[in-house]
Amino acid sequence: MDLKIGSIKELLKAEVVQTSGAATITIIIDKRPHEITLLRITSNEIEFIMDNKYHRAKIVQSETHETRLLVDGLPVAIKKHPMLQEILKKSLSAEERGEGGDKDIKSQIPGRVVNILAQIGTPVKKGDPIVILESMKMQVAVKAHKDGNIRLINVNQGATVARYDVIASLE
Amino acid sequence: MSIKSIAVYSDEDQNSLHVKFADECYHIGAAPPSESYLNIDKIIETAKKVGADAIHPGYGFLSENEGFAERCEKENIIFIGPTSKAMELTGDKIKCKVIMKDAKVPTVPGSDGTVENVQEAISISAEAGYPVLLKSAFGGGGRGIRMASDEKQLKQEFEMASEESRAAFGKSALFVEKYLEDIRHIEFQLLLDSHGNGRHLFERECSIQRRHQKLVEFTPSPVVDSRIREEVGEIAVRAAQAVNYLNAGTAEFLRDKQGKFYFIEINSRLQVEHPVTELVTGLDLVKLQIQIAQGEEINFRQEELKMQGAAIECRINAEDPFLEFAPSVGLVPDCNLPYGPGIRVDSYLYPGCTVSGYYDSLIAKLISWGRDFEEARVREREALKEFRIEGISTTIPLFKTILDEQNFLQGRLSTDYLERYGLIQKMIDAAEKETRKLADAVVAAFLMHSEFNQDSKLKEANSYSPRSSSGWTGLTLDRKRRS
Repeated sequence: MDLKIGSIKELLKAEVVQTSGAATITIIIDKRPHEITLLRITSNEIEFIMDNKYHRAKIVQSETHETRLLVDGLPVAIKKHPMLQEILKKSLSAEERGEGGDKDIKSQIPGRVVNILAQIGTPVKKGDPIVILESMKMQVAVKAHKDGNIRLINVNQGATVARYDVIASLE
Repeated sequence: MSIKSIAVYSDEDQNSLHVKFADECYHIGAAPPSESYLNIDKIIETAKKVGADAIHPGYGFLSENEGFAERCEKENIIFIGPTSKAMELTGDKIKCKVIMKDAKVPTVPGSDGTVENVQEAISISAEAGYPVLLKSAFGGGGRGIRMASDEKQLKQEFEMASEESRAAFGKSALFVEKYLEDIRHIEFQLLLDSHGNGRHLFERECSIQRRHQKLVEFTPSPVVDSRIREEVGEIAVRAAQAVNYLNAGTAEFLRDKQGKFYFIEINSRLQVEHPVTELVTGLDLVKLQIQIAQGEEINFRQEELKMQGAAIECRINAEDPFLEFAPSVGLVPDCNLPYGPGIRVDSYLYPGCTVSGYYDSLIAKLISWGRDFEEARVREREALKEFRIEGISTTIPLFKTILDEQNFLQGRLSTDYLERYGLIQKMIDAAEKETRKLADAVVAAFLMHSEFNQDSKLKEANSYSPRSSSGWTGLTLDRKRRS
């Protein structure tokens, strides 16, 4: 299958070719074979030796289109069939793509709401601060990611929000 | 020292290490600092209830609060730190500057207090030398600061700065200060006892900062030799004596391109970066603080102190350096603190701990010691590679980049080091390079993960495990047993 890793432009073609013994696997990445000795595997953690080098991977988040891992402490995202997805994306309308969520303004950090700057029914421009969150003595603005009218504000003053929570929605 | 330790904690810190290690622990309130760690009444009440003789204020919260020190004095509890009177003087920039001038301590050229009119500003600026900064007495954190590079510009800027100050704060109160370019931040550790003895414990180079927050501190400074160390160290002790300072403190200086040092302030507490000094002097600063607070005399002379080797500290913050240093909080399912020769880690982290959004983002200090700077640097860099903190983002990637950066290696530092040499971009490039290096391992992990999760039998086995989410061992991907 074709895989896209992080921000690397080129795609990698990879497949599992054989397994022998209890925990020895050979995989081929871009025509080059790699020997893997599997040390430990659970639903979200894998420890293995590949080409005589130990690696430890942790699955942080696994979704159909993207898996986020921590490999040797390095955070990295991997996407399956990125070509196919691009084609699919282009042939579908926004709604079909499931991008209704595009109207949602999400928080990039967890924190407490210390100030709500936007008002329902008023227009905002891309980059306008919507609410101010406080975490670890720092104040961070959650900004609009595009122009639009504020349809809904989901948080109250003093509320606690988690990362990726929807703060407000645009029309 | 055979002294019993008593910890206080908020709701949020119930599971913190300091609670677990203390001889006794007392709950003092809710998570917000104002309801616990800043609640003077509650802390004093607890101290009296448990019969505490002394309070060590640490280096956050109330450590520089003169009101708290004064309260301790009134309640006959020893405050391990300076007197409230000394703290009041060091905390008041205008008063402190006047005292320093009298004590012949060089300060940043400019006005001693607020400037009444533009004529006064012009004559002060001419004496200090352009460019100068106009600062509002009511601003802070970079707000209300204007720069002027000649007299004509000063006249214009003075008007505008006055208007701004009046609009924002109702009155105009401006300072004039010489603008120093390409400056370093170098500080001297001080110790003063109640018998009139004052010592300096050498310098710390703290130029690497982001928004006035120190990131890396080390000693010796590449621009301080033994002659300068002796000379500026003596000035630092004189500065502390001028305000009748007591116990551990730090005199902070700016050093300009020409090598001139300007005193800026005394930090009236133990500092975050004190381990750097401990490693090159072999002294335990907290122990010395307690001894001084007990009225003991410093038992070494200035000339007996020798700087041995070099030490570097990186302040590891729970912030995402790839996302404008946004705070990162939450569960740390696993972590690995490095160790080895010359490595010290001061941290509250342990596997399964939680990093709270209520308090400071500093989660660990990684300090290395070496016989020389290069040995300390390599140890620090290797320890950073071994330092693993899962679940949250940290500033470790930035430190890895700094420790191998050419200008850092050459000792070419200034308070704008990060921007001047594009360190954030260098960090992003390094991360991409590392991703490329690990690409094959990432693919392998992804493939095995997919295979594992497609395998219903294994999944079933997994779901029976009481600790299925993490940490159980023994299951291998065995195709032979697959049906």
